[in-house]
Amino acid sequence: MTQHVPNVNHRFNSLTINRLGLWLFLVSDASFFIALITSRFFVEGTSRPDHVNQALGLGLTVLLLLSSLTAYRAEAAAEHGDRKQAQKMLLATIAMGVIFIVGVAFEWYEALQHFPPSTGFGTILFTLTGVHVTHVATGVLALGFVYFQVRRSESDADSQWAVEGAVKWWHFVDVAWVFIYPTLYLVG
Amino acid sequence: MKTGWVVIGLLAVMTAVEFAIAVMAKDSLLLALLLIIALAKGWLIIQYFMHFGQLWEHVSDAWYGMLNDDPAADSDED
Repeated sequence: MTQHVPNVNHRFNSLTINRLGLWLFLVSDASFFIALITSRFFVEGTSRPDHVNQALGLGLTVLLLLSSLTAYRAEAAAEHGDRKQAQKMLLATIAMGVIFIVGVAFEWYEALQHFPPSTGFGTILFTLTGVHVTHVATGVLALGFVYFQVRRSESDADSQWAVEGAVKWWHFVDVAWVFIYPTLYLVG
Repeated sequence: MKTGWVVIGLLAVMTAVEFAIAVMAKDSLLLALLLIIALAKGWLIIQYFMHFGQLWEHVSDAWYGMLNDDPAADSDED
């Protein structure tokens, strides 16, 4: 019995499949965020409660944007074979991700007092930040996994896709926040 | 490396402008301006940090690979 093995061209390798698969997944996940962001205007219009913590929202935004820079530098360092620098930048990104999660927890603590989930704005805030912070947490886990992989791997090629994939996911989380920030903190 | 600093600089400026606009503008003008700035910021991240331009290379690689997939050649090899 002969088994069919596709004669796959070298350009059409598993890395290409991985990259395309990740992009497709990101696009499908983006549609989820688009639906949630749209629901804010459907439920609450453009009104915003007075007690929204503007300083915290801005701080979280700056933190996440900075973490995208360190993630970008980690990927660039891994590409150039500088594993020490890649590890350093991955750790910095993870640290900022953890601080972001703590910041969102503080936001929730404040939000519970002023606009609990039973209110319109509370529903939107807890849903949007809840879904987003879940993405951040999985990003932190993925980056942590990749950090140990870079540390243990014997060649740069072993860990390069892992770094690229986790970093792309992190940038996606950042892009999502770029739209969530004005939706929750600035509109109104 | 330089690209990263330029992009983060632009993102910082846009975030500051976004915040200032939220203080000054109102209603539909505010909504439109915030949307434009968010789209610009998102595009910067997707284009330069996520290397969106390379996506077309991956698509063309996949397409080229599929077109050149020759099952007959595989059968011969078997």
